[in-house]
Amino acid sequence: MFFTLLLIKRLNNGIQSSILIDLKLIEECRGGNLNNFRKLIELTSPFAYSVAFRMLGDDDQAKDVVQEAMVTVWKKLNRIKTAEVYKTWIYRIVVNKCYDQMRKRKRNPEFVADGKTWEIISNKFSEGPSAALENGETTKIIALLTERLSAKQKVVFVLSDLEGMSNDEITEIAGISKSAVKANLYHARKNISEKIEKYLK
Amino acid sequence: MKPEKRKYDKIVEMLRTSKPTLNSAEEIEREVIRRIENTSSMKSGLTEMLGFLFGWVYIGWVRRSLITASIVLVMIFVYQQGMILKRIDVISRQTIVSSRESEISPSNEIERILMNYRNPLRKFPSKNTTISEKQMQELLEYVKELQLKYKDLEDLIEGDPELKSMIERKLRDINNTKSNL
Repeated sequence: MFFTLLLIKRLNNGIQSSILIDLKLIEECRGGNLNNFRKLIELTSPFAYSVAFRMLGDDDQAKDVVQEAMVTVWKKLNRIKTAEVYKTWIYRIVVNKCYDQMRKRKRNPEFVADGKTWEIISNKFSEGPSAALENGETTKIIALLTERLSAKQKVVFVLSDLEGMSNDEITEIAGISKSAVKANLYHARKNISEKIEKYLK
Repeated sequence: MKPEKRKYDKIVEMLRTSKPTLNSAEEIEREVIRRIENTSSMKSGLTEMLGFLFGWVYIGWVRRSLITASIVLVMIFVYQQGMILKRIDVISRQTIVSSRESEISPSNEIERILMNYRNPLRKFPSKNTTISEKQMQELLEYVKELQLKYKDLEDLIEGDPELKSMIERKLRDINNTKSNL
């Protein structure tokens, strides 16, 4: 029997991102088929990278996280019983790897957002909602907006406001209660809004 | 809508629509596959080593001999356990006897001497072997008290013929049991 399940189907203001992963593909990977696993990497890595990049703000670190996450997926693929679980599971792995990276970074801080970032934001802001950002600009803006947030607040903000996930999904992925998700999101939004109001005229 | 909320929404929207682009997806794929293959080659090396060390157990006659030896060992073990349990049972009974003996240890010096007199095989540690005048008086008082109690009992039995006949019957039974033994 061939199961085909639509894993992610999210409409974000006209932008539809959908990833099709069927259970058969997962089962074949489980059997040790590396060619099929290549396909799984191809399907999974873009959205895993998106979360990692938005959280870490560093291309190399985000790639490392995706690589490590995919190796973990290969090792523990036996745990996946349905294709629906796969999505939450891969996000959880990525988020945990990002936590590790953030902890390491806390010990050796290397990234500091400079004041010019507000200029970029201001310019893009005047361009309107259609303004597209490059990876570097996204890094700077997220780093600047979230520099005073705790790791949990940052994770909740990225997953909720940038990746467009529901509170239930975040609860499962981040391993925190629903009320904690709401509280962290409230603080994150408040902090970012205050910052925007202060610097963006 | 508040202006700060509008600004927030606009910036978040800008960030949301600008999805980070992964330029080197093939590089990630290559690296992941390389790491997986490295891990599996390490695993196969370990399997080879285990096969070299313990592969001989798959030889037919070795396997049969090992099965026979294991059955014999299990049987020896069961027999040994049975023997041990039997021995423990014997020892535990001995313990109960000695504990009963300790229950009837003498409470005072006179009782100890009397018990020694009754059973010369039983030895209790004693500090002095002589009996003082006071102890002798106590002994005499005990004897006198005992005689009085005996007399009372005799009167009681004489006064009740039914009780007397029952006691006689009991004594006869006890004597019969002793003679049978």
